Amino acid sequence: MERISNADAGGIVAEIARVIVANKAYLSEIDGKIGDGDHGVNMAKGFGRTAEKLDGTESLDEAMSVLSDVLMSEIGGSMGPLYGMMFSGMAEAIEEAWEIDAVLFGDMLQNGLDEVKDIGSADVGDKTLLDAYAPALDAYRSAIGDGKPMAEALDAMRAAAEAGRDSTIDMIAKVGRASRLGERSRGVLDAGATSCSLILGTLAEGVKRRLDG
Amino acid sequence: MAAKAGTGPAAAVGSARSEGGVPLRFGDDLLLWASWLYYEEGLTQSDIARIIGVSRASVISYLADARERGIVNIAIKTEKLRSLTIAKALQEHFGLKDCLVIPGEGGGRSPFESLGSGGAQALRSIIKPGDTIGVGWGRSVLAAAERLSVDGLQDVRVVQATGSTSAHVPYTPAACATAMATAIRAECIPISAPAIVSRRELRDMLVQETPVQEQLASLEELNRIVFGIASLRPNSTLYSSGFLNDTPKFRDAYSGAVGAIAGHYIDDMGRRIDGPLDGRIIGISLEQIAATPQRIAIASGIDKVPAILAALRGGFVNVLITDAATGAGILSADGREIQPARAAATPVPETGTALPARSSVKKFLNTPEDAVDEALEGAVAEHAAFLRPVRDSNRALIARNGPREGKVGLVIGGGSGHDPCFLGYVGRGMADAVAIGNVFASPPPGPIFDCTRAVNRGAGVLHLFGNYSGDVMNFEMAAEMAQMEGIEVSTVVTTDDIASSAAEDRSGRRGVAGNLFVFKVAGAACDRMMPLSQVELLARKANRRTFTVGVALESCSLPETRRPLFMLGEGEMEVGVGVHGEPGVLRQSVETADDTADLVVDRILSEMDPARGDEVALLLNSLGSTPLMELYIVGRRVRQRLKARGISVARSWAGHYCTSLDMVGMSVTMMQLDEQLRDLLDHPSDTPAFRIG
Repeated sequence: MERISNADAGGIVAEIARVIVANKAYLSEIDGKIGDGDHGVNMAKGFGRTAEKLDGTESLDEAMSVLSDVLMSEIGGSMGPLYGMMFSGMAEAIEEAWEIDAVLFGDMLQNGLDEVKDIGSADVGDKTLLDAYAPALDAYRSAIGDGKPMAEALDAMRAAAEAGRDSTIDMIAKVGRASRLGERSRGVLDAGATSCSLILGTLAEGVKRRLDG
Repeated sequence: MAAKAGTGPAAAVGSARSEGGVPLRFGDDLLLWASWLYYEEGLTQSDIARIIGVSRASVISYLADARERGIVNIAIKTEKLRSLTIAKALQEHFGLKDCLVIPGEGGGRSPFESLGSGGAQALRSIIKPGDTIGVGWGRSVLAAAERLSVDGLQDVRVVQATGSTSAHVPYTPAACATAMATAIRAECIPISAPAIVSRRELRDMLVQETPVQEQLASLEELNRIVFGIASLRPNSTLYSSGFLNDTPKFRDAYSGAVGAIAGHYIDDMGRRIDGPLDGRIIGISLEQIAATPQRIAIASGIDKVPAILAALRGGFVNVLITDAATGAGILSADGREIQPARAAATPVPETGTALPARSSVKKFLNTPEDAVDEALEGAVAEHAAFLRPVRDSNRALIARNGPREGKVGLVIGGGSGHDPCFLGYVGRGMADAVAIGNVFASPPPGPIFDCTRAVNRGAGVLHLFGNYSGDVMNFEMAAEMAQMEGIEVSTVVTTDDIASSAAEDRSGRRGVAGNLFVFKVAGAACDRMMPLSQVELLARKANRRTFTVGVALESCSLPETRRPLFMLGEGEMEVGVGVHGEPGVLRQSVETADDTADLVVDRILSEMDPARGDEVALLLNSLGSTPLMELYIVGRRVRQRLKARGISVARSWAGHYCTSLDMVGMSVTMMQLDEQLRDLLDHPSDTPAFRIG
């Protein structure tokens, strides 16, 4: 069974933070088209501050908990709670584990997704981060279910997150600020789905790189 | 993916060229531009006058000035080109070691010729004795090599960076390397194998062959590499050269790619994309390129912006040679605006030219990231008579004269950028505490909870805020936290913005300037010691009877970006705009104040459906930059309309009550009054921004 060590994987959160900070302007620009243009700024603030707090010795669940705390207590907006709960859900699923294998990783993703759904009011298809997250989890699960190696499942997860992100272009926003635009929200990527696909893609890459063997 | 590198931003830069003015992308140096066109492009003074949009006399004076100031020394100094604003911005933004930007507009030469001249000029100062230089292939690289001639360099080697192709183009890998070696009198090391072979095993065998092995080994010794960046458009060198098979299946495999370097596909972040070419390329690898100390990319073209940006992000380039339009496009696609040209120091064109379009909004700020905290620090000091921090953070403020035993506590809150909303409404008779978030972002649960706990005096707490998903989530979490401590919390969200959703979906509408009336009514009810259930009912009633429509003339800009959130055309206005710059219901040509007022009044009255003899409270609110003068003009017409309808304005206010940073625009709010609401509106209140009695 392929697995990564929880204790050695905290660096993934720093990698995610780097990607988010690097995409600050891009995320804000997307957000500006149908939102208020601060998605990148707020995300970079939260993830950047987390990166400063991490010293590289954390386990994956510890690092995720630090990220969650910063997002929940300092960021606000809608992304603070949504991503805050997502990462706390993920952390919770793995906090007892020494090692994260293909099944546990799936459970971790599931727990994160459940938390997001719980606090938010959106469904898949509403042009939110769920549209990147849900298909990514499905793709991962079904690859594992088909007996594919974990690395392949992670690739599938990343690809599905990106495809999911792109699918939001044709959607009409049903929740959040953009929802008031109705038809005018069509034709633009959802900023949350975009940041979510960056997060999940980087997560998948980070795990893949750490797989033994 | 293409959306990222965005034709949008690039186009925006292109359009930033104001007629008659100096195009932004030429930086601030008119002299340099004129000199380039004259000496490098060989244009006549009249042609230059036409292109720059000044008189021929001005051109003559530019050129004279340029000679005098040593810009022109027969050849234009590369230093001057580097000093172009765009080059500087690119260097800074991407941490480049060097950057050369060719003015690149005007003149009859093809883009490759101009770029080649610039590239040759740069290489002349870059190449040193003892160098081992890798040379990629493509039109730009060949153009640079053909224009380069350097004598007297010792011990220089040129290494062909990729294997060879049989393509019927002049700029094959071998041709490029040979031309470069000839230009600098260097030894040329070819790669005696195809760039791409049909099978992996074949590659593995070929690279074992002694000559190839030796040639490839020299790629490990590069101290510089010069290469082009391929875009993936259909007529890209990559395909037209026959370097690759342009089959649908092949393209599918690389659908995530935005460009290619030395035959390696990369995605928008500059990461390698795996595909059918894996293990079949003979030549330099991406890792080898990244490991080469100096990595010089020569590339231009708006269609290449995504590819160049990806290469920059991937760290494959530390010296960039491009043209101004492309450079501006790259910066723009990565979210960086270029400071506009300031032509004041250079001769001013004589005709009445338009001011250059501003792309960066001027603001009184220190560090943008500190704007919210510094503003709060100032506001808390300014209004110290009314409020103080609940604990040690200015993100949760409590009224000095508010909470008292047995009184329902009123907690309001929201993002920053709406001043005097929300903290201006904290004080006796209105809110007891306010939680404040970042610009346009809800506060997190922490400060809301702190406020809730601080104002609870045994009669429960009302959470009252605008209806935005972020606020709803954060207040909900804070309410849960408070309820766990046994504090009774009720929640009312304001939904007065007519434009934000249809009448049937009242609960989906957002809360805007009507906040003022709802806060006032709820605060008065609290101050009169009404029980929580009744306060809640009254807040709902006030909200139900309050309607707002906003109209924007210009976008606001966030402190951290200083860029407009949205663009309205010269003669356009946005009707129904939200206080975060959310687009409204329609964009139309700017009307007179009276026509605009009519539009707004029509919408409000059709929803309110008042009877003759009804009374309203009226709020004429500036969204930030619209002056009181204009509010009065609009208000005058609003009153005329109401009078004609037999409605009296019982109470009214005009000014800044719920703003959207520096947005130019206004909103009109009306609350349909009854005895009870008017009474509560008249109840004394004493807050920084709203005083009654």
